[in-house]
Amino acid sequence: MVPSLLHPPSQLSPAAALQLSQQAPAVLQSSPSTVSASPLSALFRTSETPDLWAKYENLLLSCLRTGDEVAARQCLERLVARFGDDNERVMAFKGLLKEADAQHNGDLDRVLKEYDQILKDNNTNIPITKRRIALLRSMGRVPEAASALVQLLQFSPTDAEAWSELADVYFSQGLYPQAVYALEEALILAPNAWNIHAHLGEMQYMAATATGAAGGSYNKYMAEALKRFTRSIEICDDYLRGYYGLKLVTSRVLKDAVKPTKQADEDEFTLPDTTTVEQLNELATAKLSEIVRHYTAQDLGWRGYDELEVAAARELLSKDGSAIER
Amino acid sequence: MAQIPVQTIHRDPQLFYWILFPITAVMILTGILRHYATILMATAPKKLDKKTMREQRSLLHGISVRGSFHVLSKKSFATRRDALTTAYESGAYLKDPERRGQAPPNPMSDPSSMEGMMGMMKNQMAMIIPNTLIMSWINAFFSGYVIMKLPFPLTIKFKSMLQAGVATKDMDPRWMSSISWYFLCFFGLQSVFNFLLGNDNAASQMAQQMNQMGPPGGAQMFGPGVDPDKQFLAEAENLAVIEHYSVLDGVEQRLLDSIVV
Amino acid sequence: MPTERDFQISPVVQDSVVHNSRTLINLQSLTASLFGVGAGILGLESYYGFLFYIICSVLTTLLFYVVRVAPTSIPSGKAAFDTSRYYRSPYEFWTGGLLNGLAGFILTWTLFYGLVRA
Repeated sequence: MVPSLLHPPSQLSPAAALQLSQQAPAVLQSSPSTVSASPLSALFRTSETPDLWAKYENLLLSCLRTGDEVAARQCLERLVARFGDDNERVMAFKGLLKEADAQHNGDLDRVLKEYDQILKDNNTNIPITKRRIALLRSMGRVPEAASALVQLLQFSPTDAEAWSELADVYFSQGLYPQAVYALEEALILAPNAWNIHAHLGEMQYMAATATGAAGGSYNKYMAEALKRFTRSIEICDDYLRGYYGLKLVTSRVLKDAVKPTKQADEDEFTLPDTTTVEQLNELATAKLSEIVRHYTAQDLGWRGYDELEVAAARELLSKDGSAIER
Repeated sequence: MAQIPVQTIHRDPQLFYWILFPITAVMILTGILRHYATILMATAPKKLDKKTMREQRSLLHGISVRGSFHVLSKKSFATRRDALTTAYESGAYLKDPERRGQAPPNPMSDPSSMEGMMGMMKNQMAMIIPNTLIMSWINAFFSGYVIMKLPFPLTIKFKSMLQAGVATKDMDPRWMSSISWYFLCFFGLQSVFNFLLGNDNAASQMAQQMNQMGPPGGAQMFGPGVDPDKQFLAEAENLAVIEHYSVLDGVEQRLLDSIVV
Repeated sequence: MPTERDFQISPVVQDSVVHNSRTLINLQSLTASLFGVGAGILGLESYYGFLFYIICSVLTTLLFYVVRVAPTSIPSGKAAFDTSRYYRSPYEFWTGGLLNGLAGFILTWTLFYGLVRA
């Protein structure tokens, strides 16, 4: 994917983020510095679009990432000029800039106090609440961040972003069942998101391997991880992470030779029989090597994959290949 | 059969410059004006306090669980369903639990619900006022003329509509007066507005009427006069009757069937 | 007829559906007005005018199919004139334009007929 200023830059590689933030002078120059809110002048000037403001926001984030704080400040000034100081999103961006400026932990504490003050005045300010949580987390106060997230989700349970953040927090603490629960909530709000399906599969795979084959829930987690990866491929049939996960799970299942036991609990998923697992493994291997081959050759239409992910797939394939030869 | 002689009426070409074009231009300009007026009159969504937000979003949460139960395993769906139905039935998410069971407040006396009504009223007004003004303007200035001939024949019933203000008995109903040109513009300018203002314009009356006739959307769901407790109970019932299945059932076989390497 | 479950398994993104049909409606309402101009200048009357409109708008839809839909839908394994890759129902695709553009057509037809034949 060509990095574009219209998408939030959080997933981009450092190089792509740098490339975006280097566009900053051009973007800042090409658009007028103030867009007046008055309707009369709007009639005579090029009209503002939501895209323009999305661009400024994403440019601001990219610039902060690459340390170009002058350009970031300019972006923020334009956002403030248009939406005013008390807009919730703008407030969050202002806080973000302050966090970036902070030299030591004392500064961060001060920013945190400001957030608390803002939230005392207006306890439904969701952007600031999220900033506060992110700040708590980056300061290492993870339990506080988790409880703040839970509080946020109590009055706003339809926030997929918050649910997946909560899943990530639990996941980093090794609390797999809670993480899975939170991610399932995110999935309910976005039922067709193949990346969340695959991510849920990853978590369940980790949960299964953490407990080990002896653990009682091993079969259940493995089966659901397998199904999640399969589903994510079904929705998006060239999703590298889905194939990678599918290959990982199926190889593991084959290696451990888990019996598809007839489980007492009808409500749980069960593993498919061994031939199906083998077929799935072959499918994933074939698709992965196809993706790796096309990506290496830089074929048209196959360039969008992340370089590191392809490298990981190549490594997995070569490990697998040497295992067969041995 | 004897051919009926075609009626010809000699009209001053000045009629076009002084009637047809003014009406058309005014119609287009009012459309554009209405578009910008609705944008300017749109009020920012009202700030909700924490309790109201919790009430509304909990209900939405239940609805999305009901809508995408198929991504969950049976067990995780069952836990969620049990938790949600108990909370709904006990009224845990209600804004003020002690008011439970009482009749909802009269929407007219509740100031917060008045604002929603005002929004609707404003939109209505933006539609009705210009139309009434233009109609009376046309009636006052341009009535009594015949300005154009329709290119297709019509039955005699249309005569009174098309030739309002022209009291001539024998005239072919194809001749039309200025007020009928107004109606043609009213219905036909949609494409012009699409072209000028983009798709989501508020200029065309047709689209707005469609919206009003359509099913009540999200705005009505939390509108005034709706008892949230009843909504919660209904939602609990909806959740309870779901017969669960998962898209993950048999997904492996579907994948093997559909993807060929 | 696909059931609800089929839609859950292979979801249809509502935004894309709306975008597709909106593109088509835009084209149709714009061209309908232009056909009105044409019919008015040609001085067509009664049935000939409507016939002209029907033929022209079907032709537009056909061109739309050939230029925009066919290049991607035929290689993906759909039969010719099958629009199900991008549109819900074939009726919406082939005949929806007739009604969408009719008001605009009559408006410009009348206007230009009046201007030319006055």
